[in-house]
Amino acid sequence: MRQLVRTARLVVIGGGISYRALFNWTTPSMFIGTLLVGPVLQLLFFVYLGRQLHVADDRFYVLGNAVLASSTACVYGGTMAVANERRYGTLGAVLLSPRRRAPLWFGRALPYVLNGLLVSGFTLAVAALVLGLPVPADSVPQIAAVLVAAAAACSAFGLALGALGLRFRDVFLVSNVAASVLLLLTGANVPRATLPPWMQAVGEALPLTHAAAAARRAAAGQGLDTGLLGAELAVGAGYLVLAVLLLSLFERGSRRRATLDVL
Amino acid sequence: MSRPERGAPASRGTKPSASELRGTKPSAPATSLTKQRAVKRWPRLVAVGVRTHVTYMSRSPLEITFAVLVPLVYATLAVYLFRAAGDPDRLLTASVGAGLMGIWSSVLFGSGGAVQNQRWLGTLECLVVAPTRLPLVLLPITLATSVVGTYSMVATVAWGWLLFGVPLHFAHPVLFLLAVPGCVLALGAMGLLLAATFVLMRNANALANALDAPVWLLSGMLVPVTVLPAWTHPLSWALPTTWGARAVHAAASGGPVAAPLGLALGLGALYALLAVAVLGRVEARARAAATLALT
Amino acid sequence: MLAIEAHGLRRTYTSRTGWLRPRRTTTEAVRGVSFEVASGELFGLLGPNGAGKTTTIKMLNTLLLPTSGTARVFGHDVVRDPVAVRRRIGYVFGGDRGLYERLSALDNLRYFAELYEVEPCEQRRRIAELLELVGLDGRERERVEGYSRGMRQRLHIARGLLHRPDVLFLDEPSIGVDPVAARDLRRTVADLADAGTTVVLTTHYMAEADELCDRIAVIAGGEIRALGTPGALKARVQERDVLEVEARGVSETELDRVRALPGVRDAAVDDRGSVQLLTVQSDRGTELHARVLAALDGVRLGRVTTREPTLEDAYVAIVAEAERATAGSVGSAAASTEVPA
Repeated sequence: MRQLVRTARLVVIGGGISYRALFNWTTPSMFIGTLLVGPVLQLLFFVYLGRQLHVADDRFYVLGNAVLASSTACVYGGTMAVANERRYGTLGAVLLSPRRRAPLWFGRALPYVLNGLLVSGFTLAVAALVLGLPVPADSVPQIAAVLVAAAAACSAFGLALGALGLRFRDVFLVSNVAASVLLLLTGANVPRATLPPWMQAVGEALPLTHAAAAARRAAAGQGLDTGLLGAELAVGAGYLVLAVLLLSLFERGSRRRATLDVL
Repeated sequence: MSRPERGAPASRGTKPSASELRGTKPSAPATSLTKQRAVKRWPRLVAVGVRTHVTYMSRSPLEITFAVLVPLVYATLAVYLFRAAGDPDRLLTASVGAGLMGIWSSVLFGSGGAVQNQRWLGTLECLVVAPTRLPLVLLPITLATSVVGTYSMVATVAWGWLLFGVPLHFAHPVLFLLAVPGCVLALGAMGLLLAATFVLMRNANALANALDAPVWLLSGMLVPVTVLPAWTHPLSWALPTTWGARAVHAAASGGPVAAPLGLALGLGALYALLAVAVLGRVEARARAAATLALT
Repeated sequence: MLAIEAHGLRRTYTSRTGWLRPRRTTTEAVRGVSFEVASGELFGLLGPNGAGKTTTIKMLNTLLLPTSGTARVFGHDVVRDPVAVRRRIGYVFGGDRGLYERLSALDNLRYFAELYEVEPCEQRRRIAELLELVGLDGRERERVEGYSRGMRQRLHIARGLLHRPDVLFLDEPSIGVDPVAARDLRRTVADLADAGTTVVLTTHYMAEADELCDRIAVIAGGEIRALGTPGALKARVQERDVLEVEARGVSETELDRVRALPGVRDAAVDDRGSVQLLTVQSDRGTELHARVLAALDGVRLGRVTTREPTLEDAYVAIVAEAERATAGSVGSAAASTEVPA
């Protein structure tokens, strides 16, 4: 029992503190500008692009981009949660800790799930208001569930990318590319049917893909598609396992290669 | 070895001594550099500055990703969307539009952060202590971010041609080669205003990450501004990017090029003048308050 | 003609902390500093961290406006006429930042030569001369990211000299530089001063200041506590003896006991790895040896030596005196006041 409480403390308190220490966008102006205003404006860009090209309706873009909105917080957040340790030169101190690694890193991803959820919810609410898109009341809890799954999966994805930060120098380069790949391949902005088969296949394995589809169905009043929700959660679980594996692999490797404090 | 100049004693050994190096000053030192001569220095100063900063940015993998890889993703996205819309003859517009978006992103992040970046490098003080005025120090940096942005134009057009077989049928190929640098120049000048504003109002910095999509939208880089609500049109007209993008698109797909290009350059010059005024305030305040940590 | 005239320079920093309930904190970094530096002089500014050395230099080189007071460089006012001042000064600071890492030394110098208004026809020759002076010739085409601390520091100096400044400000140039490189650096600085360049140098290294400077100002708590030639400063402690004791486990209690001994002027402990070095300054002729050892009863002791006072002892005495003086009145070296904004 005591063990459990201590682990919970590590997850919640450790995660909370590391969020404040390592996330670059916690100041009010940065948070509003980057995480709240940015996604809304990006959503509007794609809505107007869609209207001009008549490829898909507003609902397609609004829900796709609301789901995608969590990616900024989650992908960059997950990356910062690990990679910034190295930048601040504190990684060595963290790795000297005797605590188990899985809860330590898991705790770090947790705040980003909440953050991503907040961003998605805000984007969806503002877009629905501004564009006058009615969202049926009974589908709100369903959409909420989908957004939670999306933020969780995306944070796990971000953590896995952050793990690369233990091994590679320019990890933010990777997260930049990853964020734009999500834009293209998850079907948030391009109907996936129009993409070539290999891109569709890659999209299956990315977070947000299934969530975007599930959110659109829920918003259209077609109910919660548990299959899609499950697929999203499975993808997220996969990335979480991958993240923990990569972290332990690189931690061992970094001792051998002495890459820890090489900035 | 080189001869020490202006009356300094001839060299004795293989290594110049400090006294030789110092030489004697011209009687009235740099103050003799009259206003006229100072203006004559500008082209060379800007050229050397742009060359230096373009080289510097081109050697950073992160900058190159921003300038090339991310616009390629947008180009791919645009091409698939335009295809899905059954608009195959506008695929070149999609590639060129994605390239323009890339130029803007480069200017936004590079110029908006120009002062901040130099501060992190620790070079800001050396730049401020130089006798050259701050706007003339910063303009080459913002122009460089814009020049680096053209990598994205090259990349997206080449990508479209290689991967999607987008035909390179430019309506005015020569004008296109003129319009792009013109647009780059206008955006670099606009970058100077961004750089100035972002130091003056620190909270504006937070908007940097949010400002790419609205300018893509308002300037009609991928979507014509006509689909936007009417109240946004004055905003569009006030942006050099709108006219630059219009000139580049016209050169690629047909339409008048000279007028929008002229407007882009004129607006760019206006923005640069505004920036000079703002930077005057920035420098005075930075020295007074030290809050900008030009330290 | 005087190279530098500073009269009553003061500088306060205001910083805001907190977002919901912002508090304004005012810190007085420099509190009325006046001095003059003659043309061609090598002038040293010494002082502990946070004493106001860098702030003083930055007011003189136009990076910061004084809160009050005036300063002139070769007759040009630093507030009203910054560009004229900038044409005549060079600024070099320590540490390995401040260079374009991904560019070569040559590209760095070419760029700054342009910004520092070096005539285009002269640039190539000037850069070659400077590279030779600082010993970077042959490696000027390599990127700076591969340079050692010492090489970066030399490149900094070359950059500071591009436009043949009349006054060179060197802010802790030898920080983090290895002893051999530091010696070369001192020689370069001395050569420049011999050639007539006025140099203002801040440093932590007493030997460096002793060897180089014509005059030294010791700054502590934002004020000049002593000003004079190295010899004159040393004279302040000449009537003293210095006793050094290697020890382990000296605490404040023992230190206070030593300080209380009659004839003791000052005592300080310096941690040097596993051992401590206790330095006791006393009036000349006081036979302290036995009494100090008695006061240190119960402490493990090593070598005990007596020596002549150095510039470092003079510096320590001046700073300690200043600290005692401020501790009595204000509370800390740089006084801070907090008011709600």
